[in-house]
Amino acid sequence: MKTKRLQTAVFLGSLTLAAWPAVAPAPKSDINFAAFARLPILEGGRVKPLDSFARSSLMSMRGKQYVPVDGKSISATRWLLDAAFKPEAADTYPSFVVDDPEVLGLLDLASGKTRYFAYWQIESKRDEIQNQAAAADQIESGRRSRFQNALLALNGRLSLYERIKNTFMLSGQGDPSREMAELTGLLPGAMSAFHAKKPTDKDRRAMKALSELLRRFHFLAQVAAFKALPPQEGVPADAWMNTGEALSNPANAQAPHPSLALFALMANAYRADDAAAFNAALSAHAAWVARYRPDAARAARAETLFNTCSPFISGMALYLSALLLVFAAWATRHKDIAAAARALAWSAFIVHTFGLLARTLLQGRPPVTNLYSSAVFVGWAAALLGLAAERIHRRGFAVASACAIGFTTLLIAHHLSAAGDTMEMMRAVLDSNFWLATHVVTITIGYASTYLAGMLAIAWVVRRHVMIEPDPAASKALASLAYGVIAFSLLFSFVGTVLGGIWADQSWGRFWGWDPKENGALLIVLWNAFILHARWGGYARERGIMLMAIFGNIIVSLSWFGVNMLGIGLHSYGFMDKAFLWLSAFCALQLALMLLGALPARFWAEKRTDA
Amino acid sequence: MRRNDPLSRLIDGLSSLKLTLLCLALLMALVVACTLAQVELGIHLAVERFIRSFIVWWTPEGSALRLPIFPGGGLVGAVLLLNLIFAQLRRLELSWRKGGLWIMHTGLALLFIGEFATALMQVESNMAIEEGQTKNSSEDYRRMEVAVVDETDPEFNDELAVPDTLLKSRAEIADASLPFKLRVRAYHDNAALSLRGPGDAPSPVTSGVGVRMSFQPLPPVSADGDRNTAVAVVEPVLKDGSSLGVFLLSNGLGAPQGFISEGRKWRLALRLRLYRHPFSLTLKDFRHDVYPGTDIPKNFSSLVRLKDPRAGDDRDVLIYMNSPLRHGGLTFYQASFGKNDTLSVLQVVRNPAWTLPYLSCLLVALGLMWHFGLMLRKSLGEASP
Repeated sequence: MKTKRLQTAVFLGSLTLAAWPAVAPAPKSDINFAAFARLPILEGGRVKPLDSFARSSLMSMRGKQYVPVDGKSISATRWLLDAAFKPEAADTYPSFVVDDPEVLGLLDLASGKTRYFAYWQIESKRDEIQNQAAAADQIESGRRSRFQNALLALNGRLSLYERIKNTFMLSGQGDPSREMAELTGLLPGAMSAFHAKKPTDKDRRAMKALSELLRRFHFLAQVAAFKALPPQEGVPADAWMNTGEALSNPANAQAPHPSLALFALMANAYRADDAAAFNAALSAHAAWVARYRPDAARAARAETLFNTCSPFISGMALYLSALLLVFAAWATRHKDIAAAARALAWSAFIVHTFGLLARTLLQGRPPVTNLYSSAVFVGWAAALLGLAAERIHRRGFAVASACAIGFTTLLIAHHLSAAGDTMEMMRAVLDSNFWLATHVVTITIGYASTYLAGMLAIAWVVRRHVMIEPDPAASKALASLAYGVIAFSLLFSFVGTVLGGIWADQSWGRFWGWDPKENGALLIVLWNAFILHARWGGYARERGIMLMAIFGNIIVSLSWFGVNMLGIGLHSYGFMDKAFLWLSAFCALQLALMLLGALPARFWAEKRTDA
Repeated sequence: MRRNDPLSRLIDGLSSLKLTLLCLALLMALVVACTLAQVELGIHLAVERFIRSFIVWWTPEGSALRLPIFPGGGLVGAVLLLNLIFAQLRRLELSWRKGGLWIMHTGLALLFIGEFATALMQVESNMAIEEGQTKNSSEDYRRMEVAVVDETDPEFNDELAVPDTLLKSRAEIADASLPFKLRVRAYHDNAALSLRGPGDAPSPVTSGVGVRMSFQPLPPVSADGDRNTAVAVVEPVLKDGSSLGVFLLSNGLGAPQGFISEGRKWRLALRLRLYRHPFSLTLKDFRHDVYPGTDIPKNFSSLVRLKDPRAGDDRDVLIYMNSPLRHGGLTFYQASFGKNDTLSVLQVVRNPAWTLPYLSCLLVALGLMWHFGLMLRKSLGEASP
């Protein structure tokens, strides 16, 4: 009874903790950053809140969703506002992470003290970076050196930052309200100069001033990082405009977009630190959007809430705490701690599930659409399977494995999110909810279960080296659990792989193309089949199966991430330099664990002679 | 009961689990090799070398030797298929308990047979249509042919196509429909063509635009997107042995070449192999949509008019991603586009075995669920006595 109550308390307590960011009052500030973060914009082909764009941009530049400024960390939205309206301040923030020693050398920056640099530190070498990047761009993507890749990445980040600075106004120059007034003032004279046979000098001057102004607006229209002006009434729903487009649009002369003036007011107020004026213009714009584009406003609000909750971050923390509790339970053999660990693991899983569902709903797509979401889903499926398996054999191994995989995959997902928008639009060939829901989901469950089997096998090996008292029943239970999971994963990886072939038959006209990603999936199937046949034939017993299951971890990782590093094939997502090191380290670790498991019995802590 | 004659020993071996494991391991090695080799060789050649072969050959650098170093995918697959059939028939009794394995292994066998059938029978070609254009043929972008066309009648051309495989294996090609034989003096899968310089060795070519050209043979290319420039030097020879000229033909040469003999006008051309179909497609509209404000493709689609007098078809069909047109044993897929979105390229595939994987997937899934379901029930029964 006491245990039950403890479990309930842990479960509900941790869920409340995870839900806190959603209900917590926004931190007091004069400028209403939260409302600005919720504004819908069009970027990357979809409507999203400014918050998402600010977070993913900052994530891609410095690998974090905040920037430390004067000892305090400022949010991504505030960083974006500073870059757009007060670039002279934003240029001093350490917004860029530069790791590569050769790139640091090129920039004349000292490595060692910090990895984070501000725009002003890089600015003097901007042309050099541009030229080097243009040269590196000529080389085929798979054949670039580490330096070239790092340089191209830095160049991309710098130009994203420069585009953000030139989205609302020309990098903090001039007074946007005055420019707009100037435009309206110049138009009549310039028009008459254009139509008149013999324009007066004054009109001619107006025409010249106007064309200078329009040149600036055209530049803005081209470089703007996103489109902040929703389509007006009667205009198609995807015809969003950026400031430059709206200003240089001929229709603007008759009926200027009402929010143009509001953004100009916001710019001036923000530069003048006039919070009241900024908030007034902001809420006028928000009210306009809510009235004329209610869908966009609603979607942006929901996504901002999701970003604020960051369920995958809290899930990660919960998985890790649950894992540590399981270890504590093993060390102390305390029943209550084990029960609390299970409750915590379940609440981590619930938070994870909430995040997964929210993403699915926000995107209107099945859960796996890209590498990022596959990591989230692999962790989710493995956690579910592990928690279910724990109900069959209550020894904590399955929960521990579930938490370890849940934590690791969410960590991987967090790092993958630096690649940009995690809810990016699907390219035409992948745009099929049916196949995403069937092939992609089944194959990902196959990955998840193979990892779970591998993790259980690792637990089996580690146990033998740390447990003093022999407990053959525990070893046997672990092994039979792992065996069941391997069988499950053979089913899912086979069906997923063949469904992939059928999808390929539907879209490219070949059932099986021996493409690297397909081959990777096939290897998982073959390996699982190999393990099961080896067991049925009696060629491998408990230990052999466990070692092979650990090797399964290597095969799944190579097929999941390794093939992307080949940089070829229809499925490739792009080259990932740093991930390669991590992948190699992971594979080396698995091999070491296999070696540990293969050591003869006299090396074990548990003194037995079987297996 | 075990007999020890060679035949039963062979059957024992063929049905053994050890052989299964060996084949699975070999297959894994081949798949890994094929994947890694794609970086250098391109997908097509890598698959030809490791998977769609019976032996993997290796030629040491700078020698003409061809050493067999590994069984190829075809051999391993065939042995695995035999192993599967023999093991199934010999070792597994027909019972409900083993029913899942029976269904699953049948499905697997179908999958293997399907892959063999595909390797043998699948023919891929491309059909590039411009908007408003009507086509009833598609081109194979990997294989070549020499076309001998009788253009005497301006209304109707009679033509004979000689595939590249014949050009490479025979020195002389004769056909009842031709009043002359075609002597093949040279054939190269890939070559660099150039204008003849003053210092070049004398050329055997005596007729057509090829007189002014010379060529340098190159190793054939195979990466996706690469195209070979094939070269053939042919000499039409009349029955009495008199030559009608030596021609240099290439798909890299655009100008028509031909000769007049006994009052009939002949044209010679080396071109991508052409497949004619008994029906036609007219491209009415090609669409290439992008997501707003980006270049990310959202959709490619071709609206075509399908006319097949034999089948009585005359209708509009929309071909788009993941939704091909299947007609007359062929499947048309949206593959590519060009010319400012007015040209659509359709991939045309003939694969009579295309339904086998669908059936196989269903059977294996069913069999595995059956088998593992029984296993799970048993293990749950053990866990909670």
